[in-house]
Amino acid sequence: MRILLAEDDPLLGDGLRAGLRQRGFQVDWVRDGLAAECELRAEPYAAAVLDLGLPLMDGMDVLASVRRAGLAVPVLVLTARDAVPDRVRGLDVGADDYVVKPVDLDELAARLRALVRRSHGQPQELLMAQDVVLDPAARLCSLAGQPVLLSAREFDLLQVLMLAAGRVLSREQIEQQLYSWGQEVESNAVEVHVHHLRRKLGAGLIQTVRGVGYTVLKTAAAT
Amino acid sequence: MHLPRSLQGRLLTLVLGLVGLVWACTAVLTWQDASHELDELLDGHLAQAAALLVVQQAREIAHDADRRRSSDGDKDDDDDRTLDAPNLHRYAPSVAFQVFHEGRLVLRSANAPPQPMVDAERGVRQGFTDVILDNTRWRVFAAVGAESDVQVYVGERAEARNDILMAVLRSTLWPMALALPLLAAVAFWAIRRGLKPLRLLGGQLHQRQAASVAPLEVPDDGAMPTEVAQMVAALNGLFERISGLMESERRFTADAAHELRTPIAAIRAQAQVALQEADVEHRRHALQATLAGCDRATRLVEQLLTLSRLEASAAPPTRVVDLAALARQAVADIAPRALAQGQTVAVDAPPTCSVVADETLLAVLLRNLLDNAVRYGPPGATVQVGVAPSSPSRPGRVGLTVADSGPGLPEGLQEQLGRRFHRPAGQAQGGSGLGWSIVRRVAEVLRLELQLERSAALGGLAVTVQLPPG
Repeated sequence: MRILLAEDDPLLGDGLRAGLRQRGFQVDWVRDGLAAECELRAEPYAAAVLDLGLPLMDGMDVLASVRRAGLAVPVLVLTARDAVPDRVRGLDVGADDYVVKPVDLDELAARLRALVRRSHGQPQELLMAQDVVLDPAARLCSLAGQPVLLSAREFDLLQVLMLAAGRVLSREQIEQQLYSWGQEVESNAVEVHVHHLRRKLGAGLIQTVRGVGYTVLKTAAAT
Repeated sequence: MHLPRSLQGRLLTLVLGLVGLVWACTAVLTWQDASHELDELLDGHLAQAAALLVVQQAREIAHDADRRRSSDGDKDDDDDRTLDAPNLHRYAPSVAFQVFHEGRLVLRSANAPPQPMVDAERGVRQGFTDVILDNTRWRVFAAVGAESDVQVYVGERAEARNDILMAVLRSTLWPMALALPLLAAVAFWAIRRGLKPLRLLGGQLHQRQAASVAPLEVPDDGAMPTEVAQMVAALNGLFERISGLMESERRFTADAAHELRTPIAAIRAQAQVALQEADVEHRRHALQATLAGCDRATRLVEQLLTLSRLEASAAPPTRVVDLAALARQAVADIAPRALAQGQTVAVDAPPTCSVVADETLLAVLLRNLLDNAVRYGPPGATVQVGVAPSSPSRPGRVGLTVADSGPGLPEGLQEQLGRRFHRPAGQAQGGSGLGWSIVRRVAEVLRLELQLERSAALGGLAVTVQLPPG
């Protein structure tokens, strides 16, 4: 999952980026409010972690501006301001979650996963399609109860498709959600990963819509 | 005199005490005056009575002489007879008289003694005198008749005079004695009513919560007396100042907590990353970042402590300080860090230069100015401390300048400098903006003016303070 991290403190930003990468996220890090607003408007992030005390543009203003633009991207506000009025204001302006510094990286990752899941209308923690079960928290995949070993990229790709189950995603859309800045995207990477996934999990899981993209059918339709 | 603690008690005590004093003075004056007037009046009566007796006696003697002439040789026993005058009034026993003719008592009142009321030795034949008869004081008027062989004494008991005096005083003072408790009650009511606004104010203050700094309510009906209204206005002014102080204190605490939370969050995140990181190089990076976070938190705590100590301190006693030595020491302290960043530091100062200031605070100011210049200056920058002794063009002033070749300050940012925790946007270096707050505060405490301008020599920011020479 690709998320945007907006944090002006160099040490904290560096730590959060490293920690979230360890936990399977693709992280783009911006250090001021204007950049955060630009990126959120331009890229399809699965979620954003937003510090409130940002230079150039306050985090609250970024949030308000993004929401005014009609973007529904889940935003987790990470701040040192823990007074109840601050929290209330943050949630009112459109934050989906409000976390006070310092935060445990595992908790932050779990909250982000929950935000992403809910934003896709998925109530359970586990993603299911046919007899494939994906556990984003533990980053485990199983087929008919048997664990299947997936590479990090394969897991991410399957997660993107299963989160958006029932919708057809183009190759560009998938790439945008898989790769953070500075990562090389080979021209046929998505095709290669889909090929590997079909080999490991069966050909019926991921459907190709020729000329459009790929989709995973909803569990109800598949069973 | 020990006055009661309550204002009402005090006023009541004072008012009643003064009324009592005036009353007592009145009584004393009345007594003196009445006594004097009474003495004059009664003395007059005594003299009058004596004069009557003298006249009466003269007539009787003349009558006797006629009788003797008309009945010659007819011896009259009446000559030897002493006449006792009747008591005609209840006051009469207090008055006595004696009439002597040729040394013989011829007429006396019933209560008069047979012997003369005034001893012959005293030699008083005419006029007033005080005597003691039967342990009673008498006021006696002695008068000599038309013929010198007649002596008249009219006396009055002094006690009787006192009785009259007391009666006069009683009738004068009795209404006043009655009026005193009434006056006390009225004064109590009036004072209580007069102090009502104060009591209401006290009640309002008493009911407030200890931490409340809301202004006191003043009724609009004009019932608040001017004095109390002034007090309320002063109190409200005080509350306003306190609430401003509390607000700035609260903001400072909140900001300080905010600033401390970020390095702590960074330390936590980096440590957690290091714990889970398999890659040696990545783990090393995270651990180094953890240490850097600790250093930053430490520096922040030190700055906060410096600032809070400065907030509390008033102007310290100043002494003669060698500014040149101080500048060299400060530059020597920061040189290792500047050199490590590829920056140049230098001092331009005479061998010695005395100023009057507090050495510790001046060192704090200089250290923070240098720290800012080095921290926010790019690699390769130059930082220079200049000490300019007083010269004919600037007599009485020693200039201390910290200049750098950094980017300087954008327009409009100068007034934002020194706002706690404010950092210019796009700042890569970790910092809290507290350094400037400290510099500002030191300048305030030492009563120095900070001049911020573009450095003519280096092109960056130049901060100058003017110090009085030692």
